[in-house]
Amino acid sequence: MFYRLSGIHHTRYESARALWPVPADRWQVVALAVLALAAPLFVSNLYLGSYILPWLIWAAAALSLSLLMGLAGQLHFGFAAVMAIGAYSSIHLVRAGVPFELALLGAGVVSALIGTVFGAAALRVKGLYLVMATLAMQYLVDWVIINVPAISGGAQATLRTPAVSFLGLPISTLIERYYFALGWAVLITLFFMNVKRTSFGRALVAIRDKDFAAAVIGVDPFRYKLMAFLTSSFIGGVTGAVLAFCYYRAVTPEQFSFNVSIQLVAMVLVGGLGSAIGGYLGAGFVLLVPIFLTNFIAGLGESGWIYISQNLMAHLPLIFYGAMIIGFLLLEPLGLAKIYDNIRKALLVWPFRHSRS
Amino acid sequence: MKWFTRTAGMAAIAAAMTAGGAVAQDNTIRFGLLQDFTAVYTFVTGEYNQGQRDYLTLVNQEGGIDGHTFNAIVRDTGNQPQRGIEAYNRAREEGAILFDFLSTPVSRALVDQVLQDEVVLITPLHGRGDASDGTTFPYVFPMMATYWSQATILAQYLKDNGGLDGKKIAVVHIDSPFGREPIPVLEALAEDEGFELRAFPYASPGNEQSATWSEVRRYRPDAVFIWGAGGGQSVSVREGIRNGIPAENIYSVVWLAETDAANVGADVMTGVHRYEAVATGTDLPILQRIQEQVIDAGLGAGDAAAVGSTYYNIGVATMAVAVEAARLALEHEGAPLDGAKLKAGFERIENFDAEGLMPPITITAEDHQGGGFGRVSQWNGTAWEPVSDWFAAYQDVVREEIEQGAAEYAGGN
Repeated sequence: MFYRLSGIHHTRYESARALWPVPADRWQVVALAVLALAAPLFVSNLYLGSYILPWLIWAAAALSLSLLMGLAGQLHFGFAAVMAIGAYSSIHLVRAGVPFELALLGAGVVSALIGTVFGAAALRVKGLYLVMATLAMQYLVDWVIINVPAISGGAQATLRTPAVSFLGLPISTLIERYYFALGWAVLITLFFMNVKRTSFGRALVAIRDKDFAAAVIGVDPFRYKLMAFLTSSFIGGVTGAVLAFCYYRAVTPEQFSFNVSIQLVAMVLVGGLGSAIGGYLGAGFVLLVPIFLTNFIAGLGESGWIYISQNLMAHLPLIFYGAMIIGFLLLEPLGLAKIYDNIRKALLVWPFRHSRS
Repeated sequence: MKWFTRTAGMAAIAAAMTAGGAVAQDNTIRFGLLQDFTAVYTFVTGEYNQGQRDYLTLVNQEGGIDGHTFNAIVRDTGNQPQRGIEAYNRAREEGAILFDFLSTPVSRALVDQVLQDEVVLITPLHGRGDASDGTTFPYVFPMMATYWSQATILAQYLKDNGGLDGKKIAVVHIDSPFGREPIPVLEALAEDEGFELRAFPYASPGNEQSATWSEVRRYRPDAVFIWGAGGGQSVSVREGIRNGIPAENIYSVVWLAETDAANVGADVMTGVHRYEAVATGTDLPILQRIQEQVIDAGLGAGDAAAVGSTYYNIGVATMAVAVEAARLALEHEGAPLDGAKLKAGFERIENFDAEGLMPPITITAEDHQGGGFGRVSQWNGTAWEPVSDWFAAYQDVVREEIEQGAAEYAGGN
């Protein structure tokens, strides 16, 4: 009914293997793209700058981590450190006179190199042991940033981003920063969806499922594990730079602390491992739900609906937030993306119910 | 018929509320108290914020300022910059003209935005100390002694009570930018006054400091400055005493309060000194009025037992200064207030001591620190007892540090 499938015959491999073979999906994507492009026209600055902009950037970060955790199956609990390396390198590069376009690439390269060095631990260890190795990266990078004033920006440990332009277009007003972040998020999304269909993506999936088996069928685990870390860290580093230049515009070490790494992992897990829409849903959930809950409960308190102490008032959103995470994961352990998928599959055959999966 | 009267009544109430809201809109001055209630600063935020809101309630109960009342927008930011940014933008849309984040990461992340939006940011006892330079940071007001001034006040107290020459001072600090902040100023003083200084860092968050303190014991210092915040402070005091350092030789940064004394053991801690920014206790005119008109009237924002505690009184003092600034702004600049007028009000504050609650501060367009005053107090087993008058010390050294930091900021950091 909503996703009408009758009359859709794929006569060529290209159309059958398209990203969105069903027209209804294509229309949804087009509608979303139009909405995103027109957002500055109908969304207030508050929501554009404090909700949508960070959401897009964090979704890109979640996707780059999802490439590593979801596709290649390598756990990473220090991804905020990867983004920090990108953010700090890009600012220092721009200050040294490198054009912003090259500084972004440079940020990605530096993050990719350092990220791969720590990722090399994945060649020897797996699972929880890899978590420990990546945690070590988080703490080492934090320590270096805090203790080297040349990196962190002196006694106050704050580094402001210089004014930049991208391909001749300045990036300073909110709308310019929004479009730049949107462009980056779209690019990463398309890359993420396509990488799953390449031999590289399939090799990563093979390694995720069982690295011995992958080696037997001719996928070199050494090469592909390192490449997974390299790719993911490169994208993560550039996303860190985008976060610094488009959103924070003043970088401090706390913005990339251990908590942020955990939030990123939560985004990937709650959203759904290895899913593009899951990156957006997870980032939206982890980033925005606490804000909505805080404002909602504070609003209830101010309008006199509930009489509770400030302390409880501040903790109530956390209680609900925790309950929501558990609730969603109990309802669907594969994440929000799977819930979306279930709804879509039900709608595909609605009003009948015979092809539930 | 019944439903009709009920609907009509509700409509009337709704109309009254909107009308009332519309009137209040013009004469309400909004402050955004967007603080960290759930993550890192929880040891202070609850009492601090309660003091702030109780004082604003007191001002409103007494009729406001020139018919203007005050409204606090309170939100939790969880010490996360991105939540601070959201809360700031929202509160600014709701018309707030003064902000207090009580969180160094959030304040740092928003300094640029505040300067651009021309609204007032107060950073008492947190944030960038170099924001005391009003020429570089026109809209940021630390308004209480920076950590540099706190260090110089403690040093001056030592000098007045036994001298500094030839003494050995240990600084036991949390290993973070905040913990390292007093060291450059103390190093400069060590050179001038001829004492020996050594820093002993411990790892954040400071629950475990035994290795650090056994080194401190070997150093045999004449005085120990402890420079941390939250749970690490009571650990420092306990470890210091365990390692044979007399309690009266321990000098703390502002973050040491009644709770820490209870954690260490009130009698064990007897003798410990601390820097004090604001008088503690309820034996003060403002606190008496809060007790009568806010707490006894059932309008208090929290637990009545917290009234008069260290952090509660600091909260009251911050709002006393802010309301005084608003009063001066209304008097000299006229209503309706905006960020620029409120800033001008702050810069007119002269010898304001909130009826004895705090040292007399004077804020000028250059000096947003207010003079860097404070005093030293000592734990007597049940309460903090002042052992000196309000004073400021070595402000030339502090000013040098402030200007150096401000120059770095202007250079892009």
